[in-house]
This record gives sequence, structure tokens and C-alpha cells, in this order.
Amino acid sequence: MLIQILLPGLLLSGLYALIAIGFTMIFSVGRVLNLGYGAFLMFGGYIYYQSAQILGLGKVPSFVIATAAGVLLGLLVYVILIRKLKGDAIAIEISTLIFAIVTQAAIIVVFSPSPKSMWPLIPGVLRVGDVIVTYNLVVAAVTSWVVLAALFLFIGKTHIGRAIRAVSMDPKGAVISGIDPDRINLIIWGLSGGLGAMAGIFLATYTQLAPAMWVAPLIIAVAVVIVGGIGSILGGLVAAHVIGMLETITTTLIAAELRGVATMLLIILVLIIAPKGLFGKAEL
Amino acid sequence: MKITKSSKLLLAVAAMLLGFGMSGSSIAQDKDPIVVGYIGSFASDTGLSTIRGAEIAIDELNAAGGVLDGRMIKFVKADTREDVAEGIKAYEYLVESENVDFIISGSIDDVSLGWLPRMAEYKTPTLDTWTSYVGIIDLVVNEYDKYKMYFMNIACDEALATLYIDFGKDVLAKEMGYTSTVLMYEDTAFGVSIAGLVEGLLAPEAGIKISEKIIYDANTVDFAPLFNKAVSSGADFIYLVSSVRSQVPASQYVKLQVPIPMTGVNVAAFGQDFWNDTGGLGAGTSTLSPVPSVGMALDDRSAEFITNYKARYGSERPIYPHFNGFNAYYGIYTAFAAAERAGGFAPLDDWIREMENEDLKLYKDGELWFRYAFWKRGEIEPRTQREYTHNVKFDITPPFDDGSPAMVVVQWYEDGSSAVIYPPKFATGKFQEPSWVK
Repeated sequence: MLIQILLPGLLLSGLYALIAIGFTMIFSVGRVLNLGYGAFLMFGGYIYYQSAQILGLGKVPSFVIATAAGVLLGLLVYVILIRKLKGDAIAIEISTLIFAIVTQAAIIVVFSPSPKSMWPLIPGVLRVGDVIVTYNLVVAAVTSWVVLAALFLFIGKTHIGRAIRAVSMDPKGAVISGIDPDRINLIIWGLSGGLGAMAGIFLATYTQLAPAMWVAPLIIAVAVVIVGGIGSILGGLVAAHVIGMLETITTTLIAAELRGVATMLLIILVLIIAPKGLFGKAEL
Repeated sequence: MKITKSSKLLLAVAAMLLGFGMSGSSIAQDKDPIVVGYIGSFASDTGLSTIRGAEIAIDELNAAGGVLDGRMIKFVKADTREDVAEGIKAYEYLVESENVDFIISGSIDDVSLGWLPRMAEYKTPTLDTWTSYVGIIDLVVNEYDKYKMYFMNIACDEALATLYIDFGKDVLAKEMGYTSTVLMYEDTAFGVSIAGLVEGLLAPEAGIKISEKIIYDANTVDFAPLFNKAVSSGADFIYLVSSVRSQVPASQYVKLQVPIPMTGVNVAAFGQDFWNDTGGLGAGTSTLSPVPSVGMALDDRSAEFITNYKARYGSERPIYPHFNGFNAYYGIYTAFAAAERAGGFAPLDDWIREMENEDLKLYKDGELWFRYAFWKRGEIEPRTQREYTHNVKFDITPPFDDGSPAMVVVQWYEDGSSAVIYPPKFATGKFQEPSWVK
């Protein structure tokens, strides 16, 4: 029973961390909730599907194409929408939500409303006793950990990374230091779009592709941010694992239909006990 | 140019003939059309199946000179969006704004239940092609005068379940030797209802023990923990009941190579698009299905309907009509055949009487294959010993020579083909465990 919880729970948590990281970054640096973040995942998933499954361009090239398309979408959303709203948080939240709904409508027009199952990135399964996990989920989790480690290094060791941290800590102070917050935000939105698209590919190949698939990852991302603490990548990583494990425990030991409810209860609990989250702080 | 007397005569005759012909033609065009209304979803595969089945039948009837003394049929539609409130509004729109003579429905159970009181109020002849809820038939049985204008062109769920129990006994228990199952079902009214039938009837009658029950949220997209739980229960097979996003459990079953077989009810697997929707990962799924199903051999007339359907709609989904597409096609024919004998859809009682007498039989290789007739008031079904007034004339007892079978069981194989595996009379394949099952 323990392995039935630990192994799938750990791998699912890795996927959740990947889903949440792009959302966390935008919130940390720009101090805005990108409610259209789920659309980055959906967009990445559909671009990969079109490229790999319909056009047959191969999995690796399709993965690169979809991730690059996600970066481009993130940049476009920032340039066309976010920059023009000049930091008005409510306007940004409403407009990003509308962006997600419009993207969903466009997906329905182009790909039909029917959900689609996708081929796994890596076919095959790993069996440990009675427990089965797909290689696809293993790769998603490992990729997530690698990406998160790379992000830590990027933010901690590079010039741009330090600039990102500076903007996340004190935008005005960063300007005085000669850092252009607009450029940093542009980079963050591009990164967020790419990470979102990447997470969307893993999520869609693990579950399914559907025009409404942007909602569930957005809820996961919001939950991770609230539980982990606003602005903390480490907190997000821990929270993703807490939520992943909690969902697996609920499904396996309590009742499968309560899976989402457990996460909601956790959010409420954290908001009451530790409003800043487990690792809440003001910067990355 | 010189015009002779004989030429003048010829011109006069020609003018008269032309005038007569034109006035005759304008008489035909001036006749009010008969208006048929469609109520149901515009976007779902099932809704589109009903629309298209009706469209093909209506176009055929119009091309053959029309109905009821040369009147054309006009087809109007109202979208229910699979929502009860929208369904009620749609019914009102069809009757009050479009003045329909007859309604054909591709509504789901809840939506049909929603507009049923309106139908009784307006007294509009209505034929359902998708809803199979026996509760509606019970309304006709118990309150005939109020609901007598309602007909259901698909075997009700009770008839489906009765025949399906035989599959459990004959195939799952006897042929495959299964003794235990995991009952995995969604938390919808449909899921709970079918699971109740499996738990209360199929399992005890087939001698199959339910080792574990797993109820899941209908929006679940990650089935890995559920399948792991099912496997660890040690049961012989999984019994899945899924009507929402049903291609997800089917494809994840394949992706996870779940080492025990799975059967049950998977609504997505009713359609030919299932294979594409699962990205070719639908192997092993078997499901009961109303008839005519995918993978089922067809009689000549139904085969011609499919040829016309494919020629008309090509690769637009659904690429093959669901069972209700056939039901709509034949439903239009039976409704108008009754109307021809009754002199129209009004007076209502005349049309109902003739609809109750309607009997369209389709044969394949000399055997009764499908039958579009209806149970009459007071008529008792021999096996269940109860009435099914205005339900399509199903048969739940071999050799199925008194009506269409209430259901068949369909399986999707690893090469992407599908076959009917039960009952034996209609079988085109055998129940197979997927290759990864040990």
C-alpha cells in the first residue's frame, strides 16, 4: 500500500511542480496573477499534438516547436496585453482570464470540442509490485526536477537571474540600479509561456487534450502558490509535492471522488493558519 | 417570319400546356410544408447523428415528391446544449415559433425529462432517438392519455440491462471464468444507476463477486491511482461505467497496460470516432451499446443509409452515425408512414393509432435483423412480464425474431477494428483480453 502512494505520488508531484513554476514566476516578479496561465499549457499541448500526432514531425522536434511556440505566446501576451495595462492588477487578471477563454474558443474552432488522447512521449510502463506508472510520468517528473534545478542556477548565478531577483524584491530599487523591469518582465513572460507549454505537453500526454484543460492546471498552480508561499520557488516545489501526495492519498485511501476537494481544503487551511504560505516571502 | 394557321394552333396548345404546367407547379409550391423540428444538442456526436439521420430521410422523402399529397418537409432545429433549461426553451420555440407538426429528439435523459411536461401540454407528436430512460416509458404506461404522443425509438435501459445480464452470465462468468470484479464508476446519475444494476442484478445472477467499488469524479483525467487500486484488489476484471470523457479511462487503460481485462459501459466507444479520439489507444475496451452499433453487420437498407451518410458528410465527425442516427432515419419514415395513413399528424389520436400500428421490419440473410415497431398499450413483454407502451419493439430473448435486440456488446481490438461480441446471433467477433493482460 505504501508504494502505491509513494511512487505515483512522488511522480505526480513532480508534474505539478512543473505546472506551477511558470505561474509562480510571473506572480513573484510582476505581482500579478496570470489567470490565463492554463492557456499556455493548453496551447503547448495542442501545438505538440498537431506537430507530433497529426503532421508526424517526430516527438523531439514537436516538443521543441511546442515549447518555442509557448515562449512566443508568452511574449505576445506580455507585449500586446500586459504592458499596455501598466501594472493594473485587476485589469490584468480580468484580461488574462478573457485571454484563456478566447484561446479555448479558438481551439474549439480549429480542433473541435472533442477531447483527444495523445500518444505518450515515452511509451511503456514501470511496474513495481502491483503499482504501475508510465515512463511518460517518470520523464515528466525528472524533467520537472531538472528544469527547477536549472532555474535555481539561472536565477542565482546569472546576471539576468540576479536582475530578476532584484525586480521581484524591489522594482523601484532595481530601476535605480539600472535594471529595466519591463525587459525583465518580458523575459519572465516568455519563460513562463515556454514552461507552461512544456508542462502542457506532459499533462496532455499523461491525461488528455481538451479545450477546457486550462482550468485544472490553473487551480493546481494557484493552490501551489498559496500553499507554498507567494514568490517562493522552493515553497512551490514543496507545495507541489504536498498536494500531489495529498491527492494520491485521498484517491487511494479515502475516496477517489474527493481528490480535488482535499486540495481545496488544504488551501483554506493554509490561508487560515499561515496566510503567507509555508515559505512565504517577498522575492524569488 | 410568316406564321401559318397550323403554327398558331401549335403555339396556342403549347401556351395552354405551359400555363397549365406552371399553375400546377405553383399549386405544389403553394402548399404549406410539413414542419419537422429537431430538439437536441448541435455539437455532440449523438446530437449530430440524429440531425443527419433525419436530414437524409427528409431529403429522400422530398426528392420522391413529398409527403401527404405532395407537401414538402421543412426541417427546423433547436439546440438544447445538453442543458435542461435550454431544452425546455427549445421545445417551446419549436412549437410556438416554428409551429412544428412533429418533433424528433436527440436529447439526453435529463433534457427529455425537462421538456416532457411541455410536450404533454402542447400535445405535439414526439419521437425520441437517444433517451433510453425507462421512467419515461413508465409515464406513458401509467398516464397514457397525458403522454400518448411520445414514442421512444431505442430500447429502454431496463431492456438493455436485462439482456446485458445474459452477457455477464454467458461470457464473463461461463466463457471467461471470471469470479470477481472491481466496479469503477463515475459519480453521475447514469453511473450510479448502471452501477446499481450491476451490483443488484448482473453480479448476483452471474455469480460474480464485487471485490471493490471505486467511485470517481466525472471530470477525472488521471486514472492511474484508480487503476492501481483496482489491480491491487486482486479482482479478475474491471467493470467500468463511464459516460463523460469516456475516452480518457479507455486510453489510460492502454497507456498503463493495466494487467487485468476491462469491460462495462463506455459511451465514447459507441462511435466510430472513438479510435481517433483515443489516438489509437482504445484497444481492449468493450461496452454494451444500443443498436445498430459500430462493428455490427447491417441489412441492405441500413447499409445503403450508411453509403449515403458517408457520401454526404465525408470525414466530418461523427464519421459513422451513432445508433440514434439510424433511429432518426427510420423514425422519420415510420412517423410519416403513420401520418399518410392517418391523413396527417392531426387529429392526434388518429396519428397515434397509426404510429402504434407501424411495423418496419429489416431482414438480413432471411433473418429479422432490426424492427421499428412499438409496444402497444396493454401488451406484455414475455420475459419481464411488464408493459413498455410506445417503446421500440425490442427483443431480449434468443433467437431475437420478434424485434431488434435490446443491445449488443461491442469490443475494440488492438488493430483498431471493432466487432459485436454478443449476442451470438449478431456477433462478428469474440471477446478478447488485451495482449498485455497476463
